[in-house]
Amino acid sequence: MNKIGLIISREYTTRVRKKSFILMSLLGPLLIVGFIMLTAYLKKGNKENYEILVVDESHLFDSILRNSTKYHLQWAPKDKSYDDIQKIFKADEKLDLLVYLPINLIKTNSMTAKCLYKDIPSTGAQKHLSSIINEAIELYRVTYNKIDISTYKSIKTSINLDVVDIENKANKNIQRKAIVGMVFSIFIYIFIFMYSLQVMRGVIEEKTNRIVEIIISSVSSFQLMMGKIIGVGLVGITQFLIWSLVTTIMSFTVLPRFITDKYNPEFQFSSEEISKNNTLMNTSNEIIQFIIYEIQWPYLIFFFILFFIGGYLLYSGLMAAIGSAVDEEADTQQFLIPLTIPMVFALMMAGKVIDDPSSSLAFWMSEIPFTSPIIMIIRIAMGIGDSSVEIWEIILSLFLLIITFIGTTWISGKIYRKGILSYGKKASYSDIFKWLKL
Amino acid sequence: MPSKNIIEIENLHKSYSGHKALEDINLNIKKSKIFGLLGPNGAGKTTLIRIINQIMKPDSGTIKFDGEILSRKHVYSIGYLPEERGLYKKMKVGEQALYLAQLKGLSKKEAKEKLNYWFEKLQVTNWWHKRIEDLSKGMAQKIQFITTILHEPKVIILDEPLSGLDPANSLLIKKEILELKKKKTSIILSTHDMNSVEEICDEAAIINKSKKIIQGNIEDLKERYQDNLWSIEYIGNQMSFSNAVWGGWEIIKHHRVNEKNNKAEIKLFDNLTINQFTKGIIDHVEIVEIRKKTPSIQDVFLKATANE
Repeated sequence: MNKIGLIISREYTTRVRKKSFILMSLLGPLLIVGFIMLTAYLKKGNKENYEILVVDESHLFDSILRNSTKYHLQWAPKDKSYDDIQKIFKADEKLDLLVYLPINLIKTNSMTAKCLYKDIPSTGAQKHLSSIINEAIELYRVTYNKIDISTYKSIKTSINLDVVDIENKANKNIQRKAIVGMVFSIFIYIFIFMYSLQVMRGVIEEKTNRIVEIIISSVSSFQLMMGKIIGVGLVGITQFLIWSLVTTIMSFTVLPRFITDKYNPEFQFSSEEISKNNTLMNTSNEIIQFIIYEIQWPYLIFFFILFFIGGYLLYSGLMAAIGSAVDEEADTQQFLIPLTIPMVFALMMAGKVIDDPSSSLAFWMSEIPFTSPIIMIIRIAMGIGDSSVEIWEIILSLFLLIITFIGTTWISGKIYRKGILSYGKKASYSDIFKWLKL
Repeated sequence: MPSKNIIEIENLHKSYSGHKALEDINLNIKKSKIFGLLGPNGAGKTTLIRIINQIMKPDSGTIKFDGEILSRKHVYSIGYLPEERGLYKKMKVGEQALYLAQLKGLSKKEAKEKLNYWFEKLQVTNWWHKRIEDLSKGMAQKIQFITTILHEPKVIILDEPLSGLDPANSLLIKKEILELKKKKTSIILSTHDMNSVEEICDEAAIINKSKKIIQGNIEDLKERYQDNLWSIEYIGNQMSFSNAVWGGWEIIKHHRVNEKNNKAEIKLFDNLTINQFTKGIIDHVEIVEIRKKTPSIQDVFLKATANE
């Protein structure tokens, strides 16, 4: 085996055999699947049933307000004042909400109904309440105006706006895809940062262990640096592939138990179905189903790996240089900050990119190498070859990333060569510039 | 014709950021000898060693290794135990030794065989599965010594190989160094421990303030730095001894050995030989012993570096 291969294999095997790696490999997917299930669960609302006390000043609603077991309505005594009823509501632990319908609610169009709570109701509960109140008022007015109920039902509509790209009609749900992109951009950030930090720690370890001089008497310092970078990078890719595999397996074994219906991509766009089945359980299923079936996983995983490699090579070289310039990890702070700023900035800007994935901000941030891995993965998740990102933009971005990492690796190699042999003093920026000139 | 020197250094210069680390170094290191590289801290020894190991590049000058210009392929023919040395703390001893041996060009199989031999020889076989962090400093040093010599290099460069070792292990390593010399290995020993230089080195060079001051056979060096000092034991009166010869010498030390005997340490100046001096005193005192005092290598070192 050639020497760089030996170094790569040492870096790889010592890390992969660590307990922490095995633990992370199992914990990662559990966390991902757990997170998806948690979102679904939270969306469902942690409250199963609501007990709602209704104050109806007009006495017109009692017959027409739709009652259900989930949102169970009971009517406040008519002889008590609103203030007294509030006291009753406060005192009775079984009551969750107090809905106040003022006397002129039904007559005007701009009145506001009130809902008092002890624990804030879910958005679903709020939506449900406002929809049954609106429905009741409409029904009242229909009867009042002597309109035939069936006529009214035929007039009543519930329209969903389906936002579709003209170039690619299949490209729906772009914002939802962006959420997946966002998750991936956070992953790529974590992976790049975590593994390039490992390179830095490895360099510091070799330096403080004093083994580095023994090794570079057999291999060149550049070989040692590259061997370490490649070895640790492969650990990152292995970790990611394990995560992908385990998550996929879990998605097909564990998650379907939480999904009631077989997924039908058209299902959610049928407005009729939506208005009928606008229960929250369905929304959560829909999200899980969407994540599993609607995202182009092969592309996303492929480009994730490419951009991870690019971003990782870019940052890990610089991290190796930082590691070589210090004697202990505590001294790295001043050098790390300028490196983390572009990545954190990219994450901060991710929201803006999701709002408008074809804006010039999105374009530049996905082309400039220090931010491109994080931003480009969002745009890729939102759809390749359509309004989000063109294939040439991806290729250009990768090309720029490669050019830049060759440059930074060259610079890092120079710093590293001097740094690893300078013991006992913390290097300053001016020392590093001196090393670069030599 | 093969060179009799394993390493020949000519006009070597190296400086970093304005500071001269090595200035016009010329040095020949003979084959199958133990060569002491001496000098005060910061003299440039480590820089010179690093250049021979190709960890650093010189600014100018040439280095020949066994008659050839030093190049990358020679790293396999050199074993290096740096002063700043250590091992991966979390790695197992055996794995680590295998890794370092393979980096020096051995195949895994060869490395294993040789490691088994050396582990047995230095009685460290049962450490194979231990982690370095569980070993003492001295134990780790034995492992480092093994990994330095395992690939049977032509030249072994040892920078302070005995520091931190207990007397027993120190003796063991010295014995191994001498045995390596018997097997025609050339050894460069950089150390501040002058006793071990005296014990095992054949040749030495002293570097001070980035320049080479002296180089030569240990005995020649001592000869060159001898002060014509003599120690004389006699029976008789001190006054008669002192006044026996007029001029050309001085007493450095004088003390009574017992009732009858006295011992003097004297320095002869250039115009007086020991024979003339002896002729002068022989009628006044009874001579018990005359012995020439040769300087220790430590004296040579101190003198040579003080003169600069």
